Amino acid sequence: MHKLYLKIGVIFIIAVFMSGCAVNRATATLDPTADLAGIKSIYVTKLAADGRGINLLITKKLTDMGYQASTGISVDIPQNANVVVTYEDRWMWDITMYMLELTVTIREPKTEFPLASGNSFHTSLTRKSPEEMVDEVINNIFSKGKRNE
Amino acid sequence: MNNNKLFAFITVLICISSGLIGCSSPASKDGIVAHDILNIKHHPNTVLVKAQGGSETGAMDSSNISNKDFAQAIEESIIESKLFTRVIHGEGSDYLLNVTIVSMSKPMFGASFTVSMEAAWSLSDAASKEAVLRKSIKSSHTVTMGQALIGTTRLRLAVEGAARKNIQLGLEAISELQLK
Repeated sequence: MHKLYLKIGVIFIIAVFMSGCAVNRATATLDPTADLAGIKSIYVTKLAADGRGINLLITKKLTDMGYQASTGISVDIPQNANVVVTYEDRWMWDITMYMLELTVTIREPKTEFPLASGNSFHTSLTRKSPEEMVDEVINNIFSKGKRNE
Repeated sequence: MNNNKLFAFITVLICISSGLIGCSSPASKDGIVAHDILNIKHHPNTVLVKAQGGSETGAMDSSNISNKDFAQAIEESIIESKLFTRVIHGEGSDYLLNVTIVSMSKPMFGASFTVSMEAAWSLSDAASKEAVLRKSIKSSHTVTMGQALIGTTRLRLAVEGAARKNIQLGLEAISELQLK
């Protein structure tokens, strides 16, 4: 009888983990009143709870794209920043930790109005590295901006 | 029933039930409509409503709001509150209202589910394209286990509640404007 319970337990655990399956989502939005074309200087606000340096990955990506990008805490926003970038990352564990979801928002510095945002969601079977997640989200946001020019 | 048959039977049951763990129902339009918005101004203008940032709810996904349902819920809330004289579909409106779901934080576990939501509300003059409102609106809603025992229902109700409050706050912000 013990073996029976053991078998049921193992199958249950496998089935529960299998139910996670693969969910992939990558979206970007741009407010119709927003214009990303004139952006030169970008400030990435570090999320207080971020211990993985996602702000640095975003800043590097923006710098590689040709923007003047810097990062720091929310009270140090430079006067010349055209926009501020905020982000939210969610992580899950499946054998190892992986980034489940990343949302990046481009905001007006004074009002914090969200001009554009992007979100990528990839579950374990189709997981991406944090660098790939940042690439995907930022590329989607700015290609959305270009399409609307 | 011998052990093998019992084992097969329980295995099938577990597979079916575990498959259902990931299943969830999408937020319904009717649950998002903001009713009874008090002290709202009635603008003598027409409006076109667009929603973005929402997503369909997949079989293995958590409860989401589709753009279509979100836009319809905003439209119905406008009609019910009489904030604008008419909601227009297509060309010819006085104003364009765009609402973007920027983020929606949903819990995965817990007895009480609190969903937090941020949406970008912008209202612009349809002719001049000039923005008359640009506002980030944040809302949240908590549903306890006492209100809904099943986790997926609890999450759906929390999502609907957060969206409903967001619509209410958005329409109240528009109500404060002096429109031409």
